[in-house]
Amino acid sequence: MAPFSLFAGILCDGTLSGVSRCLVSLAASIALTTSVSAAPDYLRDIKPLLARQCVLCHGPTAKKGDLLLDTARGALAGGQHGPAIVPGKPDNSLILKVVTGTHAEIGRMPLKRPPLDSTQVGLLRDWIAAGAQAPADEVPSSDRHWSFVPPIPPALPEAATSGHPIDTFIHRRLTEERLAPSPEADPAVLFRRLTFDLTGLPPSPAELDAYLADPEHDRYERAVDRLLASPHHGERWARWWLDAARYADSNGYSVDGSRTVWPYRDWVVRAMNADLPFDTFTRWQIAGDLLPGEGTDAMIASGFHRHTQINHEGGIDAEQFRLESIIDRVNTTGTVWLGVSVGCAQCHDHKFDPISQRDYYALFAFFNSTENDGHAASDYNATGPVFDLPNETEAAAIAQWEQELKRLEQAVADAGTTPAAKDRQKELAAWRKKRPTTTRTLVMRELDKPRETVVFVKGDFTRPGAKVTPATPVALTPKSAPAARNRSDLADWLVSRENPLTARVTANRVWQVYFGRGLVETENDFGTMGELPSHPELLDWLACDFRDNGWSLKRLHRLIVTSATYRQASTHRNDLAETDARNKWFARQNRLRLEAEQIRDAALSTAGLLDPRIGGPPVFPPQPGGLGAFTQNMRPWVVSKGGDRFRRALYTHLQRSTLHPALSVFDAPDTFTACTRRQRSNTPLQALTLLNDAAFHELAAAFGKRIAHLTGTDEQRLTQAFRLATARVPKPSEVTSLARLLHAERTVGPNDSDGWTAVARVLLNLDESITRE
Amino acid sequence: MALASLMGQRGSAATATAGSNDAMAPRAGHIPAKAKSIIFLFMAGGPSQLEMFDWKPKLAQLHGQPIPDSFIEGKRFAFMDSSFKNKSTLLGPKRAFRQHGQSGAWVSDLLPHTAQIVDDIAIVKSCATNLFNHAPAKLFMNTGSGQFGRPSMGSWVTYGIGSESQDLPGFVVLQSGPRGPRGGAVNWGSGFLPTTYQGVPLRGQGDPILNLSNPDGIDAARQRRALDALQDLNLQHQVATKDPEILTRIASYEMAYRMQTSAPELMDLSRESDATLRLYGADREKPSFARNCLLARRLVERGVRFVQLYHTNWDSHGGPGETLEDDFPKRCFETDQGCAALVRDLQSRGLLDSTIVVWGGEFGRTPMGEARDKTGRNHHIDAFTMWFAGGGIPGGRVIGETDELGFNAVADRAHVHDIHATLLHLLGLEHERLTYRFQGRDYRLTDIHGELIKPLLA
Repeated sequence: MAPFSLFAGILCDGTLSGVSRCLVSLAASIALTTSVSAAPDYLRDIKPLLARQCVLCHGPTAKKGDLLLDTARGALAGGQHGPAIVPGKPDNSLILKVVTGTHAEIGRMPLKRPPLDSTQVGLLRDWIAAGAQAPADEVPSSDRHWSFVPPIPPALPEAATSGHPIDTFIHRRLTEERLAPSPEADPAVLFRRLTFDLTGLPPSPAELDAYLADPEHDRYERAVDRLLASPHHGERWARWWLDAARYADSNGYSVDGSRTVWPYRDWVVRAMNADLPFDTFTRWQIAGDLLPGEGTDAMIASGFHRHTQINHEGGIDAEQFRLESIIDRVNTTGTVWLGVSVGCAQCHDHKFDPISQRDYYALFAFFNSTENDGHAASDYNATGPVFDLPNETEAAAIAQWEQELKRLEQAVADAGTTPAAKDRQKELAAWRKKRPTTTRTLVMRELDKPRETVVFVKGDFTRPGAKVTPATPVALTPKSAPAARNRSDLADWLVSRENPLTARVTANRVWQVYFGRGLVETENDFGTMGELPSHPELLDWLACDFRDNGWSLKRLHRLIVTSATYRQASTHRNDLAETDARNKWFARQNRLRLEAEQIRDAALSTAGLLDPRIGGPPVFPPQPGGLGAFTQNMRPWVVSKGGDRFRRALYTHLQRSTLHPALSVFDAPDTFTACTRRQRSNTPLQALTLLNDAAFHELAAAFGKRIAHLTGTDEQRLTQAFRLATARVPKPSEVTSLARLLHAERTVGPNDSDGWTAVARVLLNLDESITRE
Repeated sequence: MALASLMGQRGSAATATAGSNDAMAPRAGHIPAKAKSIIFLFMAGGPSQLEMFDWKPKLAQLHGQPIPDSFIEGKRFAFMDSSFKNKSTLLGPKRAFRQHGQSGAWVSDLLPHTAQIVDDIAIVKSCATNLFNHAPAKLFMNTGSGQFGRPSMGSWVTYGIGSESQDLPGFVVLQSGPRGPRGGAVNWGSGFLPTTYQGVPLRGQGDPILNLSNPDGIDAARQRRALDALQDLNLQHQVATKDPEILTRIASYEMAYRMQTSAPELMDLSRESDATLRLYGADREKPSFARNCLLARRLVERGVRFVQLYHTNWDSHGGPGETLEDDFPKRCFETDQGCAALVRDLQSRGLLDSTIVVWGGEFGRTPMGEARDKTGRNHHIDAFTMWFAGGGIPGGRVIGETDELGFNAVADRAHVHDIHATLLHLLGLEHERLTYRFQGRDYRLTDIHGELIKPLLA
């Protein structure tokens, strides 16, 4: 085990009185980590190991076998089987026998968990052999898992190489690992990285030139501000959230009819651009329909939990699928906000995390009283509660319709029981059906009378068990918290100061976008089976800064991208290949293949065809024919005309059963469950798509024309074209390679499009073009 | 990063080195494998075992009588509301049965060709599943779960042991019948596994693989020049960045290029003899189930790991286009010869020992009839028939028994999870060890279930 500096969360009991104790211990650990000694240090090496591996069972709550391992004292005192350690005699120490599985009676520890690795066993052995030294005034480890204790802002370490908080944490660890950070990336590469990360688009040549020509020392920070203010920022970060929201434009299951819920997508774009505080962002999505005072956007936002599928298959049991939708809502809430798999508790008490089956169904109860989504309806357009969003023309038409409605109602009243009454009633009934249609979006709607919720025995809905009422998980809710009754209370709990997970999980997922990996690598498992954070203090510092400063995502973005850590070169280093091949300590940036949407958007931009309009109904860019042959319902895909053919991929119609192949081949999420981290695969089918797909070839041809219209010599044009695709000035050898291709492909003259299209095609296929470096 | 994300998996595939550099490279499983490839003949819609393999004289005797309550108490069915309102009566087998081969297996007159191979296949009459609607049940048969978004068996297998072919996708799907199976691509989706392991549909018309042909105006020479320039530039950048992922990208482009040759070669049946085509009842050009069977043989010949064929429209409720009288026999006719020919052909080429052939649908049909336009049967999950051949599976066996009405499996019940566990086992994978960590838990094809079906193993 590598040296592990003490993490405040492990030591604290989560109460405010614990703060001072934490800080003392933290300060002590910092002092200790700077001195290197041969024997393992208890506070640095042993205590965290015991806290993570043993204290859940051998802590004050469970106290299995009457043994406490929350202090060295406890280990010495021992339990039913005698002392766990015998100082100076590792071979006689019980703890070593059980962790190596060599005790005659006691099974291998930790029970039902992976065994300690040889480094960890070695640390224990060495520490015991050296006399098992430990401070006498030791504070017991908490037996609560680190992520279930609310974060407290850790003290900033002393500035090492820069004043940026992120860098001080990162550099401290690098120093401990005896690694040096990488230098700042080349300005053009860095500016392209920043533009992709903040807007999802490559920089335009004008933006790039202006940036590189800017002589001021704060040009980078000003670029950050400008890009955060760009309307395209909201598009990029909306896509990040839509992954988690399992957003799609169709109902899923086998019939998979279309649905209208794009106003939700557009609201997320607006929310990101406006930097809507994440707590409000959360409240609206969990309970916007219950907050009438918050306006239309809150109602639209409640569509978050309407991205569940709707089953229109004949012969199904509607209740079964209503319940499936609710299970999806509970599990998605757990994954997205809490970063824990509550879903396990659907069938049994969670094996490793403190979510009981009762907790699960208490969460279930929050969602159990909404109107049916339209499962089993014979009308494939039946999609449950919707909210009308009339545009101006539609609003006028409705006003007109309502006026006429009133007139007809009056006419019915006037007719009384006269012979004409029947005709008047008929007219009225006919008119009622003629309400003009408007844009509408799926929303949640609560029933007047709540449904009763019961535990399902072994998760089987045909086996009802005990009744439950809505409640947040017992282990994650302070005893003093007010009782939670509805979804609005649930939302308040998710974003309360006392919630230990939401801020950490969210900050971690934002970090993950910028580095390709979270500070907690298991971004969807902050539970006891997940990975420990690589930089626990940094994660808590970021989470607290996010939570305590208005839940501002833009503040978090700015913090991360202005750090030297973010700005490092991504070039692989020989020294790191040996010691940190996976770049756990962030001694360099990571080269990350662009996301599926960004690959298309980048090609559109490079070709000069991008239609940058924001929002509106989904569009239908070209896709290969015949895709419907493999699905139940063969749907026509009528390609959009005009600018809609070239819109950002965010707006591509997402048909669940047949996602656009150029998106799914580059690992776009399948939209069935919350996706909190995208894969980055690298396959021959991706090569076929970029090389041969008619839609990409259309862009290559347009890019070829764009190059042909540039001025200058062949070499100058090739250089310009290369910059359009990668933002970087090519090396002479790279220009030579392209020139060779150009001359082989050129059939007529210098402006011959064949030659330039061939060049454009190669440029769009470069690894560098589809990678953010 | 793909390398990193796989390497990050704890206790992952058979060999934990399944990085993107060699995500599809063949590798050893957990235990010695008996078979190398699978061909799964998926009869989508749920064929009636009672008109094919599960001969029930008692059901014929009791034709027209109500089913005893003891059979249906506490059971759930598709179209439950209507089925319970008009409680249906037993429907006697609609076809004549005869015993065949040395094993004496009963096969109906609808399957004259399959009847000829009974000594080479193992017929399991006691299959059972959990879900009685088409889309979820198909998912269950393919992924072990009724929820969308789980990896299919082909994805699990290629994730576990890669593929022998480096010129064709490792997991290929073919389709025949009037439309695609319900649920579409999720049936061969990779779920949370990397998309590398997703099934690749081989299409009957146009490019067999999406974007296989060069764009208009790009001939083979130009394509090669483009690839050469691309490789040259990518290599230069690899030297500058030292990122191994760029080498993977270069390899992917080269495999794509090889695929452009190997896939059309695969689809070109001009060198198959007339005798072979007659054996299958296939045409060299015209798409059909029989032609797909022949293509399946060619795929496993070329080292492809997992081949799945869908033939749709087996849903015999009795309504228009789905009657047991007229439509069901057509489905049998369309598939019977191809299935038998595939087993024979693999056998004569020495490929049957290393290839598992699986035949079956997502569920079976009820002993009770449904009267709509004509007669039919409802979906049934408690007992249905599948057959298995090759890959070390003993031929000439009839495994499992159903009760006298064919309602419940009463001996050697073979649940879908058991079938998955057994098929993985034959490929050298232990179903309890083939795991992938996602959203905080280790997922398996068999969830927390699965027992090996011993009679299929020796």
